[in-house]
Amino acid sequence: MTPSRQFVLALTAAGVVSLSLATPLLADDEPAWAQGRSSDMADSPLSPHATPMTVTNEEDIPVDHLRMPDGFSAEIWAHGMPGARMMARGDDGTLFIGTRGIGRVYAVLDNDDGEDREHVIIAEGLTQPNGVAFKDGSLYVAAINRIFRYDDIESHLANGDDIPEPEELTEAFGLPDDEHHGWKFLAFGPDGRLYVPVGAPCNGCEVDEDTHATIHSFEPDGSDMRVEARGVRNSVGFDFHPETDELWFTDNGQDWLGEHGPQDELNRLSESGEHFGFPYCHAHGLIDPDLGSDDACDGVTMPAAMMGGHAAALGMRFYTGDMFPEEYQNAIFIARRGSWNRTLSVGYDIQVAHLSEDGERAAISPFMVGLLDPRENDFSGRPVDVLQMPDGSLLVADEQNGAIYRISYETPDYMEE
Amino acid sequence: MRLSTRAPWRRALVVWGGAAALGMSLPAASEDAPAVGLPFEAQVQVCGACHGNDGNSQETGTPSLAGQPELTIVNQMIYFRERLRQNEVMTPQARGLPDNEIQALAAYFHEQPVAPPDGEPDPELKARGQELASQQRCASCHQSDYSGREQMPRLAGQREDYLVAAMVAYRDRTRGGPDTTMIDVMRGMSDDDIEAMAHYFTYLHTEE
Repeated sequence: MTPSRQFVLALTAAGVVSLSLATPLLADDEPAWAQGRSSDMADSPLSPHATPMTVTNEEDIPVDHLRMPDGFSAEIWAHGMPGARMMARGDDGTLFIGTRGIGRVYAVLDNDDGEDREHVIIAEGLTQPNGVAFKDGSLYVAAINRIFRYDDIESHLANGDDIPEPEELTEAFGLPDDEHHGWKFLAFGPDGRLYVPVGAPCNGCEVDEDTHATIHSFEPDGSDMRVEARGVRNSVGFDFHPETDELWFTDNGQDWLGEHGPQDELNRLSESGEHFGFPYCHAHGLIDPDLGSDDACDGVTMPAAMMGGHAAALGMRFYTGDMFPEEYQNAIFIARRGSWNRTLSVGYDIQVAHLSEDGERAAISPFMVGLLDPRENDFSGRPVDVLQMPDGSLLVADEQNGAIYRISYETPDYMEE
Repeated sequence: MRLSTRAPWRRALVVWGGAAALGMSLPAASEDAPAVGLPFEAQVQVCGACHGNDGNSQETGTPSLAGQPELTIVNQMIYFRERLRQNEVMTPQARGLPDNEIQALAAYFHEQPVAPPDGEPDPELKARGQELASQQRCASCHQSDYSGREQMPRLAGQREDYLVAAMVAYRDRTRGGPDTTMIDVMRGMSDDDIEAMAHYFTYLHTEE
């Protein structure tokens, strides 16, 4: 998993110049993740890290590696679910979890009786069912090519019934089914609409601005589609500001343009239909070397915060709970799955973003670290999503280990309450 | 409280119910793979009936497992088990096998020495295959000695007929599975080129 070190110098040098010097691209028989790799990088050892598809034994889950500010502690809340990614909580306390490669949707039952929490597999054989959302008793699941609604699912789980046959909403939503960046995040907005991103079907390319590199919203039945955000390369996480209702979302920067960037973004949508730059203008205003003209960044909404180059900022939620100290109120916890497209790894952590007084910008700071070993340039876990529990604790999904951690807070002994 | 939810039968019902609800045609839940519940040595015999007990296949179209990276075997078995890769032979062999038993079998076959292939290489065909493999940058994932790495299989010494069939299936998009890397790589490749590359990989370490 550790990139060979002999390539580091050459790669760094290439990375520095590549934004201004467009090198010829390889033929189109490259795998999706290699699109945009210049010919001088053809021997690069960089490629995505494979996600384990088998159960990580409890004693091998790196919960002891986790480091947070004083007062916070982490425990294993549920485990044994290979590929666990995006989380949604049912009204009765069931935690629903999407995956990618292994094609399953898990449900962790709310049965805290001192033993390991039981989970069941409520769907399998799907194509990257990453997106899960819950509303009015129904679970919504978005795979790359299909969308399902499981009605009244928690009562069926509670009774030990078979899982009800889902309602298929694929045609109603009418979304593209590209594999590349086709996995979906799902969340309901305060307006009751279902928000669905559609990533760019490429590393970098021209797209139809009404169908790709967007965040759409729909009525829950798939009707009344609106394009809420354009120029969004690949968002796999968003939430709505608890006071302003604004949509805030992460977006993953383009690969193969350099070791350090363009950086991933934390964005704020102030007006429906805004453009966030892809494929012409990246990150904090970098003009694409192939597709961008001199005015490529005019009219583009700049990020509220930069999230690191290739760090894979994914699931994020505003914090509104009672458990954590006051400074976390309305701050955003952001999971960074960790990089592959750079030789010096970054991410593999949870960052916290604090908003400016005017609510337009944010500053990020490490909150949960320890899964990246910087001396070995290797990692032991990959956080992909966060979820606030009713008691104010925070769940973190670790895709690498198929585990859910729970982070809680107690005032340290040296502080007065 | 909720002790009943820990019973394995209920979990199995939920799993099968969920899959059935998605409109997939499934065998009855009782049709676990023949190796399920057997001791390890007997499981090796089940696999070995086609793949060879030492992992060197003597069956046309059946790949050798000897010397394959463990993760290669594990991932493909899980693709079969989860029906992410449809295969009428292998899916019934994988259903119900637990992760740790798949991992133990993968470790065993990984340890087995690779037997030299039958037959003799055609030097001209092998040279052409070498050139094509170099153009296609196969070694960048499968390693310069084609011994494979992690989820990327060993090609050196693999059965020629299997390599041809696998590459054709990727090209024609008839081999599924979550990883689409090989589909992209094989796009538009001719039958002749595939045969040359397969020949090269099979006889890679054979003296001419």
